[in-house]
Amino acid sequence: QSKQAMQVGTAHSDPNPNHIYFNSRGIWMTYIIFILIAHFIILSIPFISVGLAWTLTCQVHNFITYLWLHWEKGAPFEPLDQGESRTLTHWEQLDDGVQFTANKKFLLVVPTVVFLLATFYSRYDQIHFIANALSLVVLSIAPKLPMFYRVRLFGINKW
Amino acid sequence: MSVEHEEQFEPTPYVVAIITYIGYVMLAVFGHMRDFLRNHGFEKNLIATEPARTKDFVPLYQNFESFYTRNLYRRIRDCWNRPIRTCPGAEFELIDRKSPDHGWSFEYPGTHTRAINFGSYNYLGFAETDGPCADAAAAATETFGCGVGSPRAEAGNLDLHTRLEATVAEFVGAEDAIIFPMGFATNALNMPALIGKGCCVLSDELNHSSLVLGARLTGAKIKVFRHNDIADVEAKLRDAIVYGQDRTRRPFKKILIVVEGVYSMEGSVTRLPELIALKKKYKAYLYLDEAHSIGAMGPHGRGVVDYFGCDPRDVDVLMGTFTKSFGGAGGYIAGSQHLVALLRQRSHSGLYGASLPAPVAAQVVTAFQMLMGRAGPPGEGARRLKQLEVNTQYFRASLHRLGVIVYGHRTSPVVPVMIFMPGKIAAFGRETLKRGLGTVVVGYPATPIIESRARFCLSAAHSLDIIDRSVQIIDEVTSLLLMKYSRRPPPAWTAGITREWAEAQLKLVDQQRRPHGAANGGPVPRRPVECRGDPPDKVADENDAAVKDNLAAVAAAS
Repeated sequence: QSKQAMQVGTAHSDPNPNHIYFNSRGIWMTYIIFILIAHFIILSIPFISVGLAWTLTCQVHNFITYLWLHWEKGAPFEPLDQGESRTLTHWEQLDDGVQFTANKKFLLVVPTVVFLLATFYSRYDQIHFIANALSLVVLSIAPKLPMFYRVRLFGINKW
Repeated sequence: MSVEHEEQFEPTPYVVAIITYIGYVMLAVFGHMRDFLRNHGFEKNLIATEPARTKDFVPLYQNFESFYTRNLYRRIRDCWNRPIRTCPGAEFELIDRKSPDHGWSFEYPGTHTRAINFGSYNYLGFAETDGPCADAAAAATETFGCGVGSPRAEAGNLDLHTRLEATVAEFVGAEDAIIFPMGFATNALNMPALIGKGCCVLSDELNHSSLVLGARLTGAKIKVFRHNDIADVEAKLRDAIVYGQDRTRRPFKKILIVVEGVYSMEGSVTRLPELIALKKKYKAYLYLDEAHSIGAMGPHGRGVVDYFGCDPRDVDVLMGTFTKSFGGAGGYIAGSQHLVALLRQRSHSGLYGASLPAPVAAQVVTAFQMLMGRAGPPGEGARRLKQLEVNTQYFRASLHRLGVIVYGHRTSPVVPVMIFMPGKIAAFGRETLKRGLGTVVVGYPATPIIESRARFCLSAAHSLDIIDRSVQIIDEVTSLLLMKYSRRPPPAWTAGITREWAEAQLKLVDQQRRPHGAANGGPVPRRPVECRGDPPDKVADENDAAVKDNLAAVAAAS
């Protein structure tokens, strides 16, 4: 067993860099690029239709962004805020919890756009629509609403 | 040339930023996958785990908090904490380590590597094992012993400390000074003695964590302003004065502006003349942390106050450390008699912590004396200051010409060179070490996510040959790693900075022994006018006979 301490580098005045990196240059474009890469990978599977590919993109995107933004709590490094952010999901840490910032609006709009594209490409098929809408509302929209800030339903994922 | 023109921070190229993010995401994805394999027994688990009997307890640490350490840092941790076996002067010897299991553990084959040292804060080259400073430290150990065993206020006040305080006050140009054994504690534990609840602290966003901790410990209202943005400082000052405290709207008792002289992560210099003008206009106080600039900047080495030609009495609290330029440890606060008398009574660090050990105090006193020309070989202080200045400008100019992105001010001895991508951080550290250059590399979360960098600390101990060799190594490595991202031409000030210029500058100091110069024990020429924004590289005090000789020599040589 090894003993190693990470340098959170030289003494930092920012207690948790996790809240501000989403303001960096080019990160929105990178997010969209990742969605496109995932979509192309799914599209290249030979035996599924375009509508199903888009629905899969929508579902996979909602699932992965849910895990990234609303499931994992705390930061992947030890921040200097003495544990204040340990119980906060990444969404709650973004921009220090301030609501209606540009980042948050962007992260709300992107799943919606993916959903609209998926319904269009699946030709408004009922089953696809229900699946996409459910995953959009439950996994992407609801956790991002201000009314759900720091709410943990049934104590799931509280600590 | 104004400060703005000599400083630059070229922004990250767009495509490079995107590739950097993709790199971090890939690392995160692989990290999660490997964690999954380790936690479910598919892979040998070398992580420290809690013993079985505490499995049902609330965990002490979140597993996720060590994600970065485990999956990113651990893989490349041979780039940090390298053990050295000689004095960290211009060169040092590193003990070689090899990791057979990708960073979980190290083996020591017993060999050593000699490398050029660009990682130590050794600005004036006082990290040496012989010379007047080392002799003085040894003599002090024989007189006083190693430790002191008591706080200053009880039985730990040596006459060495009083002498050091007088020396510091004279060097910096203040009325009096007080010293502390720890630089971090100087900031963190003295701010609460100066301000308290009902006051306001205006702090730069890139301030060191000792200043942040000190500000928090005071209980005052903290407002953070954008880095070096004077308009922002003024706006926040006006808000503080007009609106007063929260809720009660009572006026603040004191407003303290806290800045650093040189910011070590960026290499930027604070806008001191504008800040002094602001503080006079709005009747605020100014706290200047010169940890990285005292001894390293200014024509006489007296810090940014000297560099801008300002009056040290205009800065209310002059703080600095002995760690960087003087080869010691500890810090000082200099200012008016009244301020220092208050700190002697009220400082937490001075009353409860043990005082500065005698050998360290002797080392620092001798270093100051050397800089003022009263100890060591004649003209040594001036030589070291000049060497640092020449090294800094020559190194920076050479790097600009290579085409890498270099941050910071022309005269800042801290030189950040941008790396950006996470994989290249380790590659740069390892490749430069292979070629005999020891550097410090930093990445996220110590720096912003798209601004990982290698940081070079120049020293007066480095010779021009060492700098040439280092630039050659950096050229090789950055070509290999495709790190030459700069799209701008080298800045205008690099035009005349060549090896010939550097040698001519150094010869100038060797040739003339200034009889009245500040580096030979005389007073620092004080400008009677209000300080301007322009650095005084072309302005001299005309009454100084030695400076006249200097100018004549330059005219004759050119």
